[in-house]
Amino acid sequence: METSASDTKKPIQIEIFPKRMIKPDTVERLLNKICSLEGILRAFIQGPRLPTKVPFGPAVGTPVHHPLRTNVHFGETEMGLEILVGRITLELAEKEVMEEINVICEDTLPCGFDIREGRFIQTRQTVSDYAKRGPKADPALYGLYDPKSKVESQVNFLRTNEKE
Amino acid sequence: MAYEAQFYPGATSVAENRRKHMSGKVEKLREISDDDLTIILGHRVPGTDYPSTHPPLAEMGEPECSIREMVEPTDGAKAGDRIRYVQFVDSMYNAPSTPYFRSYNAAINFRGVDPGTLSGRQVVEARERDMEELAKFQLETEMTCPALACLRGASVHGHSLRLQEDGVMFDMLERVRLENGTIIVQKDLVGRPIDKKVDLGKPMSDEEAAKRTTIYRVDNVPYREDKEVLEWVHRIFEQRTTYGYKPAVQE
Repeated sequence: METSASDTKKPIQIEIFPKRMIKPDTVERLLNKICSLEGILRAFIQGPRLPTKVPFGPAVGTPVHHPLRTNVHFGETEMGLEILVGRITLELAEKEVMEEINVICEDTLPCGFDIREGRFIQTRQTVSDYAKRGPKADPALYGLYDPKSKVESQVNFLRTNEKE
Repeated sequence: MAYEAQFYPGATSVAENRRKHMSGKVEKLREISDDDLTIILGHRVPGTDYPSTHPPLAEMGEPECSIREMVEPTDGAKAGDRIRYVQFVDSMYNAPSTPYFRSYNAAINFRGVDPGTLSGRQVVEARERDMEELAKFQLETEMTCPALACLRGASVHGHSLRLQEDGVMFDMLERVRLENGTIIVQKDLVGRPIDKKVDLGKPMSDEEAAKRTTIYRVDNVPYREDKEVLEWVHRIFEQRTTYGYKPAVQE
């Protein structure tokens, strides 16, 4: 008989997929509530990018000043949100947290949503990752950043151990 | 009895809306002034004359040609206007129109227009004043919901994304914004800020958009429920395949 990650004590991944693209203040409220739960290992937000300047066309280079491109606070960590959030992927230590996440989403999101379990964040290095970071890359960061960019610009640590 | 074009088969609200868009018999929902339209399009300064590429036809002295005698030039062609474009983007979430039906509307009801139909956007090139006439018609009538459709010259990808939390189609350049329940245009087609904000009025409610849309959707009017449309689509595909668009061969 096959065993899935949810049957074992391996981390599982879920995706929260709202019916609408959500505003930064809703993202802030949602993620703050989720981050207060025990057992959230990694979180990944995805959505269309909000550029600072018009990227092409006759008005190329004109500042955009998009009001949804703003800073959000998770606990004491401030993070520049450069996208309009369309989906949130979480890695959970155990499946039991899902119920609480469902309740938080129902309370916070102003629209309907789906929560799916599956594999959404990569768990192994790709060739590009390996070429960029080498064999000693932190496994916790796999899939959380674009290999072409700096880790610091795309990954935020909300709870860091002082000894580390 | 004179033949009356039927335009599109089907008994559902979507089919009826498609017929309306094709025939041009659409309801006018809002008023947009000429100056406001000119500001949004951004091709010229409002209140100025239309720049021209050639002298008016009456002054040019056209060569003798039976076709020229038969076909009345459009106002833009008569005046020698430049060719300019207007481009609409319609959300896939129950926007009233779609690129195909904007093109049908333009090609059937307007002269001297060159509609271009793409998956996410629909562009019309025409002499400037002819283009403005078409843009005004499509913008003022039920063919456009200010929140679910937008005039965009560049970066159109919001049409296929989910709507924003406030029900407005995503635009990375934020050309339109929902303010106090109405849609305000604050940038022109290509994303340049405009001096005067243009009010396009209230967006359609979800129910109204679902009623006025020309898009078949599983969560509204499913395509397969419209038996007559399916029958005709099958017939056209079958005849195209078997007879190579020559239905007469069948008989």
